[in-house]
Amino acid sequence: MSFWQLMQRLDRRIIYTLIFVSVIIPTLFPLKLPTAVTPETMSFFNAVDSLPAGSRILFPFDCWPSTRAETEPMAVAALRHCFRKNLRVVGLSNVGMGGPSVLENVMNRIAEENGKVYGVDYVNLGYKANYQAVLLGMGSSIETIFPADHRGTRLADLPLMREVPNYDSLVYTVIVSDNAMIDYWVSLVNARYSMPMVAGVTAVMAPKQMSYVQAGQLQGLLGGMKGAAEYETLVGAVDKANRGMDSQSLIHLLIIGFIVLGNVGYFMTRNDKREYHGERG
Amino acid sequence: MVVAFFGRGVVVDAVSDEALRWQTIVGGIALLLGVFSIVQVHWRRVATRHEDRVYSAILLLCLAVMAGFGVFGGVGTGSVYDWLFENIQSPMMATMFSMLAFFIASAGYRAFRARSVPSAILLVTAIIVMLGRIPMGQYLYDGLPGWATWIMTVPSVAVQRGIIIGAALGAASMSLRVLIGIERTYLGRG
Amino acid sequence: MKILSTTVTTLLVFNIWAATAFAQDAAPTGIFRFERINILIAAVLFSAAVLWYIRRAVNGEKFYIRPLPGLSAVDEAVGRATEMGRPVVFIPGTGELDKIQTIAGLSVLGRVAAATARCRTPLRVPVLYPLPMAAANEVVKQAYLDEGVYEPLDPQTVQYVAGESFSYSARIGGMMLREKPAAAIYMGEFSAESLLIAEMGQAAGAIQIAGTAEPEQLPFFIASCDYTLIGEEFYAASAYLSGEPKMLGALRGQDLMKIVLVIVILGGVASATIGWGEQIWRSLLQTL
Repeated sequence: MSFWQLMQRLDRRIIYTLIFVSVIIPTLFPLKLPTAVTPETMSFFNAVDSLPAGSRILFPFDCWPSTRAETEPMAVAALRHCFRKNLRVVGLSNVGMGGPSVLENVMNRIAEENGKVYGVDYVNLGYKANYQAVLLGMGSSIETIFPADHRGTRLADLPLMREVPNYDSLVYTVIVSDNAMIDYWVSLVNARYSMPMVAGVTAVMAPKQMSYVQAGQLQGLLGGMKGAAEYETLVGAVDKANRGMDSQSLIHLLIIGFIVLGNVGYFMTRNDKREYHGERG
Repeated sequence: MVVAFFGRGVVVDAVSDEALRWQTIVGGIALLLGVFSIVQVHWRRVATRHEDRVYSAILLLCLAVMAGFGVFGGVGTGSVYDWLFENIQSPMMATMFSMLAFFIASAGYRAFRARSVPSAILLVTAIIVMLGRIPMGQYLYDGLPGWATWIMTVPSVAVQRGIIIGAALGAASMSLRVLIGIERTYLGRG
Repeated sequence: MKILSTTVTTLLVFNIWAATAFAQDAAPTGIFRFERINILIAAVLFSAAVLWYIRRAVNGEKFYIRPLPGLSAVDEAVGRATEMGRPVVFIPGTGELDKIQTIAGLSVLGRVAAATARCRTPLRVPVLYPLPMAAANEVVKQAYLDEGVYEPLDPQTVQYVAGESFSYSARIGGMMLREKPAAAIYMGEFSAESLLIAEMGQAAGAIQIAGTAEPEQLPFFIASCDYTLIGEEFYAASAYLSGEPKMLGALRGQDLMKIVLVIVILGGVASATIGWGEQIWRSLLQTL
């Protein structure tokens, strides 16, 4: 069997081992590669940056724990930006498993960095089942949907929530999502209540959400860990996403190498197959 | 929902708000039903000595532990529930998601062959986008990030829009077929 | 056709006028939101087109539906499984029963279950949530009864796997590697677990047919599966497999609306390019 025929039958465990090594090496020996900023991320940054101090914004964190590597850095960078701009943040999650807890941890950590007070500068409403009812119901009355926040405190006892009866009191929405919830935010909230919004989504979802950006329904977009890394650079707080980009860069190169190798092998062995089947190239 | 979308006024808004309130309540109860269903199915497996009863027993134990700590110990930061979630549940879910990186590499190596002109175009486009999205791409050629951005914002979006519009029409047609009763297979009546 | 085109044109003109006239209200009043009338007209047009073609189909008109390789391969896949003595795995997506993709997936399950019942091939239907499991059970039972299989359903046929998608895909992976199905059919709503499931099916050596309307998951299925149904092809699957005139008529009605949409898009693009009449298209399509 020739080398190229062997390559066509490469054991997938070898591929997995090389991928594993590509992740580990930059983690142990950071490459610190710079990240160029894309227009969509710039738009996201500018949209949040242009909000006046004291503005009340909605911060849905609709993410499962499985995508934390991509979505948590986005949420961290976005919250840092919001708190530095002295925006007041109302957070919630439409993902019951892990969404409110991750949001609570992230909000508390970043708020402490920036000297923000819970109940005055930020609130975590938590989770309520049935996203359609939640998204539409908050248009009339947030307290009807969330009588208490994630910690069990009545909304009437929270100074920030006394000023936010419904969407009319919120000026912007910054969404971080890893599922179809982003489509519902756009179709139910942006379309009906004209609430301007930006979104951070996983890399797999970014191409689909570009159509919303081009239609103006989303004013900016962060796509995956790269988007998070770009945003961290703009906010001036290089963190996990930038460190993760080193591994991602190596893996991209490795996958491209595999694809090229696979195609070279395909063309080199194609003639062998033709001769075997009695054809001439 | 339809009336609330097209209608306006005190009565419409009041009825719509009440319906949404009921929807939230019913959604919460449905969650509980899901839990009962899981307990029922897996308890039956343990009781009837099903071949997978060990896994069912582990599931029931984990359910009891998480629920117990959540109900009696709270779910706030620093609680046992939070510790279990952050150190067991979350890493396990992230691990499963991370397997995608390995699988996409093996799928790419196996499937991305330039067997025809369209597949060769797909291949070249994929390589440009992958290179353009990493810092090293810019080192190779300055214009790569711009090409990648153009591919993602022009042809890719056009295709995505086409698929979304087609899928939306398909969904609308399917919904209409279900509503008027000509699509009944999902009910078990062909 | 003449009556239909006249009606469509009249409604479109009325729509443009209404959307323009009422959208100018600074503070809209009244119980009907005229600023959204274009959506209502589009919904009425769509329903009318679908119902009209269903009526024509019921009256005996035959409609041509182009062959879909993925669906033509379903019988081939079941046949392969029968010859090899290995099961067929059918996954109706990972969505709840209120999602239209899950309903579409269950409709295809009915046809696949009928094929496996005819060939006496084992069928495995792992399901993520309780309600789709109950529905899948009914669908499979009915399909078996219709094919004259009166024995009680094997409890292994429709299995409920705990309601989290990665636990589900881990279970599916284990099942694929242990039972080595000869055919795997994925029809429904999927998210990140699509590639995990498809790659494990590939490793098990199964012929794989997938269908979903999630654009993000289509590339993974196309890379890993032998046949993929894209978007509306997946929704058409049930109609295609049944061959019922009413269902094929509905597909035709849907296609008519697609033609109308294409004309509107081309008109809007032309108008924006030459810089004339853009306001007409904006008022036609914009909602408030």
